[in-house]
Amino acid sequence: MLYSKETYKLQQEFTRWCRTGEEIHLENTRPEGLKQYRRLLRNNINNTMKQAFPIAVSILSEKEWATLIDDFFAGHDAQTFQVWKLPFEFYQFVSKQSYGITFKKPYLSDLLHFEWIEIDVHTMPDQIPEPFKKKGDPKKDRIEVNKEYRLIKLNFPVHLYAAEESKNHTGNYFLLAYRHPDNFEVRFVDLPALHTLFFEKIAQEGKSVNDILKEIGEASSPELMPEIEKNISKFVETMFDQKIFLGYQHIYKN
Amino acid sequence: MVKEDINIGLGFRREIAGNFLEEGGLHPDFIEVAPENWIDMGGYWGDVFKKVTDKYPLILHGLSLSIGSPEEPDWAFLKKVKQFIKDYHVAVYSDHLTFAKMDNAHLYDLLPIPFREDAVKHVVQRIKEVQDFLERPLTLENASYYTSVAAEMTEQQFISSIVEESGCNLLLDVNNVYVNAFNHKYDAREFIDAMPLDRVTYIHMAGHYKIQPDLIIDTHGEAIIDPVFDLFDYTIEKMAPVPVLLERDFNFPEMEELKTEMDKLRTICKKNWTSDVVQQGNI
Repeated sequence: MLYSKETYKLQQEFTRWCRTGEEIHLENTRPEGLKQYRRLLRNNINNTMKQAFPIAVSILSEKEWATLIDDFFAGHDAQTFQVWKLPFEFYQFVSKQSYGITFKKPYLSDLLHFEWIEIDVHTMPDQIPEPFKKKGDPKKDRIEVNKEYRLIKLNFPVHLYAAEESKNHTGNYFLLAYRHPDNFEVRFVDLPALHTLFFEKIAQEGKSVNDILKEIGEASSPELMPEIEKNISKFVETMFDQKIFLGYQHIYKN
Repeated sequence: MVKEDINIGLGFRREIAGNFLEEGGLHPDFIEVAPENWIDMGGYWGDVFKKVTDKYPLILHGLSLSIGSPEEPDWAFLKKVKQFIKDYHVAVYSDHLTFAKMDNAHLYDLLPIPFREDAVKHVVQRIKEVQDFLERPLTLENASYYTSVAAEMTEQQFISSIVEESGCNLLLDVNNVYVNAFNHKYDAREFIDAMPLDRVTYIHMAGHYKIQPDLIIDTHGEAIIDPVFDLFDYTIEKMAPVPVLLERDFNFPEMEELKTEMDKLRTICKKNWTSDVVQQGNI
């Protein structure tokens, strides 16, 4: 760095003012111009977050929202060079600082997560599937999964109920968000725990339905298996209909 | 990338994206985007971007290079920019003569570098490092600013020194010259005269908003006003042809209004840059 200590300090103080509004005394500056920078920078952050989290904005009071924006801008060192990805850092910041507890809105973190994954899935880089066959055996063959998805766990079902109402239905909810390959739309599927297990083993481990049923069979009562098999057959069919499962792999992976 | 000497471009923005692909829509000679808004973009917008870049030559105008930051350049970011330039056959990569990152935090706006000798040295070194990495010259824009910070030299001395010592090109934003001249009470034409115009490879034109009787904000959200067109005319008369961009980032008018603005820019360019005029000048 070839800046003098003095110039470096000037830049630090200037940006500190922009982020916090704390009083500073910078020589040879125009106070009215200085104010514009804090206004413009804060507006930029505020507008980005308002656009990303319309539901959260609507359920928080103006004061609560302003607190989040001010605290985030002052206290979080933004790492992404892409401002449209900053909402993810905002979600992480709000979760880590437990603002949901402070505001008596315990679902806040889940709500931000839910709103973020819609953006994430909508914008994520294209994931080209491996070559696949359209016809195959849904039980024996390995399934090619649409890779443009995110699977998240929520404690408050903000995807099923209004945020405040979700407080009355806490539990373990698994939400699959995926991008439809025909029209790029982001769609959400609420998955029961058993289906989540199957989905992860198919998508992450490349296992066939029969492989997974065998694993489950070894740990379950035999009398449960017919019902599980029936249930999973229906699940697989639905996943194909929704284009989350795309087809059958050409080459089996070991 | 250019087909003719006169190339009038328009910033490609999502709000008006459809107009770039429709029959009878907007048909600029080239488009400009911020690479930060499109790197790693997939899905619907990735598809639109591919279509529009198949149709138009592309110039990049970045926001996150932060050439005036004290810290090291973000090499991971620049690696992505370099690949993006290659993927989309980009002719010009430009950014701003400002800083946008401090103490390891992105700020997502353009802050003025103190006009000081040590800052010149620092920025010159950074430009050389980035140019070496990208294997191409950088093109940097004279930014609008609402206050200088402990300046020890004039803005024109600052810009000229950096351009001369670093070997970078200059993106001359004529509206910014107008805005800065108004806000800081100097003569815009004298400023233009002092610029290294032979190093200008790209021009920006835009609208602005007067928020107080003595303060203009460079918004890109209004139509270009006549005094800025006049300053543009005054400037390009002294220069060889370069691409000219109409910047409009929000508050979009009817598309006919944008077409009219681009036509007006083209008319001024033709007046100053067509061979007939040059020949007349020579006679």
